[in-house]
Amino acid sequence: MTAWSRIAEIGLIAWRCAGMARHALWAAKTRSLFVVAGIALGIASLTIIVAAVDGAERKANEMVAIFGPDAALVLGGNIESRAVGQRTLTLSYEDAAVLRRSLPGAYLVVPMRAKSNVQVRYAGRVTQVPLVVGTTAGYARAWDWPLSEGRDLSEEDLTRSARVGLIGDTIAQELFGKQSPIGRTVLMDRFPVQIVGRLSYRGVSGGGGAVDDRIIMPITTLTKRFHLERNYFRALRVKFHDPEYMSAHVENMRSLLRHLHNLRPEEEDDFSILTADEILQFLSTFKGGLILFLGVTALVAMVVGGFVLANLFYLGVDERRSEIGLKMALGAPRWAILTQILLEAVGLTLIGAILGMFLGMAMGQLLARLEVLEILFSWKVFGFALFASLAIGLIFGLKPARRAASMTPIEALKGN
Amino acid sequence: MSGSQPIIQLQNIEKTFLLGDLNIEVLKGVSIDIDQGEFVALRGASGSGKSTLMHILGLLDRPTGGRYLLQGEDVANLPDDRLSALRNQLFGFIFQTFYLIPYISALENVMLPGLYGATPARQLKHRAEELLTQVGLADRFHFRPGQLSGGQQQRVAMARALLNDPQVLLADEPTGQLDSATSAEIMALLQSIHGQGRTVILVTHDAATADFAEREVLLHDGLVQDR
Ligand SMILES: Nc1ncnc2c1ncn2[C@@H]1O[C@H](COP(=O)(O)OP(=O)(O)OP(=O)(O)O)[C@@H](O)[C@H]1O
Ligand SMILES: [Mg+2]
Repeated sequence: MTAWSRIAEIGLIAWRCAGMARHALWAAKTRSLFVVAGIALGIASLTIIVAAVDGAERKANEMVAIFGPDAALVLGGNIESRAVGQRTLTLSYEDAAVLRRSLPGAYLVVPMRAKSNVQVRYAGRVTQVPLVVGTTAGYARAWDWPLSEGRDLSEEDLTRSARVGLIGDTIAQELFGKQSPIGRTVLMDRFPVQIVGRLSYRGVSGGGGAVDDRIIMPITTLTKRFHLERNYFRALRVKFHDPEYMSAHVENMRSLLRHLHNLRPEEEDDFSILTADEILQFLSTFKGGLILFLGVTALVAMVVGGFVLANLFYLGVDERRSEIGLKMALGAPRWAILTQILLEAVGLTLIGAILGMFLGMAMGQLLARLEVLEILFSWKVFGFALFASLAIGLIFGLKPARRAASMTPIEALKGN
Repeated sequence: MSGSQPIIQLQNIEKTFLLGDLNIEVLKGVSIDIDQGEFVALRGASGSGKSTLMHILGLLDRPTGGRYLLQGEDVANLPDDRLSALRNQLFGFIFQTFYLIPYISALENVMLPGLYGATPARQLKHRAEELLTQVGLADRFHFRPGQLSGGQQQRVAMARALLNDPQVLLADEPTGQLDSATSAEIMALLQSIHGQGRTVILVTHDAATADFAEREVLLHDGLVQDR
C-alpha cells in the first residue's frame, strides 16, 4: 500500500468515526445536553468579554477623537483628592487671559460655565434643556465640532453680552422640526435668545452622555442673565499646536496655573487637567476590571464545563465498554476508538461554543441596550470561542478517550 | 510455505486468570491444528474454557503460555495494529449475546466492520444489503436491534461477521439463546457459510449442535481431546 492510499484510508476511517460519534452523542442526548450547556455558558461569557473589551476600545477611540488629541480640559478643583468643601470655582478670567497670552503652544483658550435644566420655549413648544454652556468665541472650533448651519460665537457677541446662542441638533429638532432655527428667537426662562448657529449631530461626548441637547451662549450673557458668579468659571478648554508635545504642554500649563493660584510646593493642585491620554488610561483600568471579572467568570464556567465533560465521558466510556469492545473485536484500531471519543468531546464543545456565541451576543446586545456595556462583535470572538472550545474538548476528552482506547478487546467486551 | 499448512496452530496454549491471589488455570496446555476450510466444533461443559479459547483464537485475548501460529506466524510477535487488521479482515465473530449496537439500524450494524477499512460506503451498503437478504432479513434493513427477535438479531450478527469476507468464522454458542427451530435455521446458515469455503469454528456445550461440524474437539479440565 502506498503512503498516499494509507493516508486516504486513515482520513476515511476518521471521517467514519465522526459519523459514529454523531450517532453516539445523539443516543446519549441528556448527557450531551449537560456538556453543551456548561460549555455554552463559558463561551457566552468569553464572547461578552471580547465584545466588551473591543467595545471599550472603540469607545475610547471615539472619545479621544471627539475630545481631540491636541486638546486639554482644565477643571476647577482637584478631581483626584475630592477634598470635602474644596472650592471648584478656582479658574478665573485672569487665568484664561494669562494662558492665552503666555502659554507656549496654546492657540485657543476657551473658558466655560454651565447652567443646568433651563426651560426653553418656541412658538408654544416647551422643552427642558439639561445644559446651557456659557463660553467665549470659538466654541465650535475648540471642540472640533462643526456647525451644520449659521455661525460660531464671536468676540463681539462676548463684549456686548449679546443674547445669541448656538443650538444642539436634538433641541433644534424638537423645537423647529425640519425648519431652520437660524435667526429665530427662543425664550430661555423668559428672556429671548436668538439662535445664530446650529451644531452638527455628534451622538456621544467624551464623558459618554448625550451632547446634542445643549445650548451654547456667550459666557458674559449667561452669568448676567442667570446671576452667576462673575469672576470664576468651571472649565477651560485649551487647544495646542504640536500634539506630539502634549505632555510638555500640560506640564507648562500646570506650573503656570499653580503660579497664578499662588500654590506653595506642598499644596495640591486646585485644578485638574484632562487630556486624551487620561481618558485612555481611565478606560484601560476600566477594561482591566472588566477582563478580570468576566475572565474569571468565563474560566470558572469553562473549567466546570470541562470537568462535567470529563466526568460524563468517563461514565460514558464505562457504560459503553461492550460497544467499544465490540468495535475492537470487529477490527477497530486503537487510534480509531481514541478518535471517536475525542470527536465526541470536541463535537459537543463546538456545539456549546456556537450556542455560547449566540447566547453571548444576545446577552451583550441586551447589556448594550441597557447601556451597561459598550459592545463590539468581531470575527475575533469566533476565533477565541472556537479555539477555547477545541482546547477544552481535547484536554478534557483526552483522558476518557485514552482510557477507552487502552482497554484490551476482551476486558472491554466482557465489561469488567 | 506450503498450502497444506494449517491456518491455525495452537501449541500448549495456557490461560491462567489471576483473581486476587487466586490463580484460575482455565487452559492448561491446549494443542489443536485447524486446516483451512474445516468446520470444527469446540465442545465442553459450561465453565470449561470454550469462550476463553475462542477469544484467544480470535486475537481478542492473549494466552499466558504456549504458542499460537496464525498462518504460520507467531501472533505474540504481531504489533497491535496488525492484530486489529487481522480481526477486521481474517476473522468474523458471532457471539452468544449478539452484541449489536442498539441505537443504529440492522444495516448500519452489518456495515460496522467495513467502516474500519477503505471500501467505499456505497459498496459497503450494497454488500450489507446483500448479506442481510441472504440471511432472510431483506425487509428489516432499517430496524433497530430492539425491534428484532433474538433469531433475527443473531442473523444480523452473522451478516455482520461476513461483511469483510473473512476466511475464519468464530461462533460462540450462536444458538445459545434461541429456540430449537430458530437454532436449526442458524445452523443451516453456518453450514452454508462453511460451504462457501470458509473455516468455521463453532463453540457449543451441546453434542447435537456439535454434530453439524465435521470434527469435534472436546475441552475438558483445561485440556483437549481431539476426535
Ligand atoms: N476474566 C476472568 N477472570 C477470572 N476468571 C475468569 C475470567 N474469564 C473467565 N474466567 C473463568 O474461566 C472459566 C472458563 O470460562 P469461559 O467463559 O471460557 O467458559 P465457557 O466454557 O465459555 O462456559 P459457558 O459454556 O458457560 O459459556 C470459568 O470458570 C470462568 O470463571
Ligand atoms: Mg462461553
